[in-house]
Amino acid sequence: MRFVPSRLPMQSVVEFDNVGLRYGTGAETLTDLSFTLFPGSFYFLTGASGAGKTSLLKLLYLAHRPSRGAIKMFGYDAITLPRDRLPGFRRRIGVVFQDFRLVQHLSTFDNIALPLRIAGIQEKDLQGPVTEMLAWIGLTERADARPATLSGGEQQRVAIARAVIGRPEMLVADEPTGNVDPDMALRLLQLFAALNKLGTTVVVATHDIHLLQEVDGAQMMRLDKGRLSDPTGSLKHPPRPLVLKN
Amino acid sequence: MLLDFALPTHDRKLIPEGRLSGQMPWVIAIMLFLTLLVAAAGLTLADAARKGGDDLAQQVTVQIIEADPARRATQRAAVAKAMRGLPGVVSVKPVTDSEVRNLLEPWLGTGVIDADIPVPALVDVRFGNLPTDAMLKQLQDQLRPIAPNTRLDSHSSWMAPFFQLMSALVLLAGAVFLLLLVATSAVVVLAVRSTLNTHRGTIEIMHMMGGTDLQAARLFQRRVALDALLGGVVGFGAAAAVILAIGGRFAAAEPGLLAAASFPWYGWAILAFIPLAVMGLAMLMARWTVISALKKML
Repeated sequence: MRFVPSRLPMQSVVEFDNVGLRYGTGAETLTDLSFTLFPGSFYFLTGASGAGKTSLLKLLYLAHRPSRGAIKMFGYDAITLPRDRLPGFRRRIGVVFQDFRLVQHLSTFDNIALPLRIAGIQEKDLQGPVTEMLAWIGLTERADARPATLSGGEQQRVAIARAVIGRPEMLVADEPTGNVDPDMALRLLQLFAALNKLGTTVVVATHDIHLLQEVDGAQMMRLDKGRLSDPTGSLKHPPRPLVLKN
Repeated sequence: MLLDFALPTHDRKLIPEGRLSGQMPWVIAIMLFLTLLVAAAGLTLADAARKGGDDLAQQVTVQIIEADPARRATQRAAVAKAMRGLPGVVSVKPVTDSEVRNLLEPWLGTGVIDADIPVPALVDVRFGNLPTDAMLKQLQDQLRPIAPNTRLDSHSSWMAPFFQLMSALVLLAGAVFLLLLVATSAVVVLAVRSTLNTHRGTIEIMHMMGGTDLQAARLFQRRVALDALLGGVVGFGAAAAVILAIGGRFAAAEPGLLAAASFPWYGWAILAFIPLAVMGLAMLMARWTVISALKKML
């Protein structure tokens, strides 16, 4: 099964304008990034190790502010946004970390429920969605298991479930299929695509070029030594309308 | 603050159920035990100084210096009679010769007083209010026709250095009390920082998912409150046992200044309030520590 991005009103989710990022006094990790991400679009972010993929994702999920340039997120200037307004924006973004970052003392269920609880969702209202998500990722039987007792692939599925449970407006995933078998990778991609159909902008950083072929119409952002290239030229164009291909 | 304490069960799980650290409640218990003892000592001294000061300051001893024992006795009776009629005088008690002898015997030995040393006759007078120097001088003038060689000793004047010492000790107790509160706060801050470092990963995850600083701070506040509550109960229990035991010793002591140094009833209310105040202080310190640390994150 292949997926293509959905059609949604064309208002940018993210706009980068000449953005640069440097850590401390070192050389710039990201240089002159200018691009726009549109709602309902699906982006793959590729590049060699050390190209700056994770740094770019950190800017996208508001873990860092850039050293220079301008970033607009959900229509707001993310550079000048007061710190106390950032949590509200972060709740609109789902993140799959490369190292999963599951809370080790919480069960699978509680890890997945974490974003909903942080958002103040009542306990009775989150039981259903979390249970459904557990079934989707095939971990219903492991609902009470702690992350340390889960395999790498299972942990990754929990991390993904946690990122998507709140139906974020933008999903940022760092190597989300790195530890799962091809079948599960495809299944997780289906989950991302399903979310994308609902209007979520998806950005997936990956080394797996085969994944790129699984989502038709997905756009590719390639980072090379901190600079962005646009081999498909699609970043300059709006996403195509939704077509589910079998 | 109370609402912050009452976190939903699922939120409490965000930081592992164990206390902030194993020793934390016990450290707070020890600090509170010391704090409560110092507070009790300060309250007792302050109360004793107040009661004893009022009591003694209102007392005057009239000394009648007369070598002839018969005339001395006559003058003592006359002075006592004259004093009873004066306004402001609450009680007049002539000190008998045998009482004077008992007072002096430890220093002068038995059987030597009447024979060798003429001792003054004494009359203890208690006023309803603190007598002023002018009143005492006027009194002395009034007594002169009755007993020419009369001297008035105001107890407040010879006890003044003692009560100055008591006041200094009360101030010292207050200072130590404050220092112990500062030390307790420092212990809480260190414990919270340590726990914050231990659970930095969890806090960062919450942060990245849109958790606010207050949400994280509430978790730590609750932990600290529980530790402080446990420490407070233990510290208060131990301090109360010590105060009751020592209070019993005071009560068994001879009447006088020591008897005045009893723990006042209102002291228990103050001591019971201190652990609650420390719990509130600990929660505030935890909140401040966590929010200060999180502010360094974007």
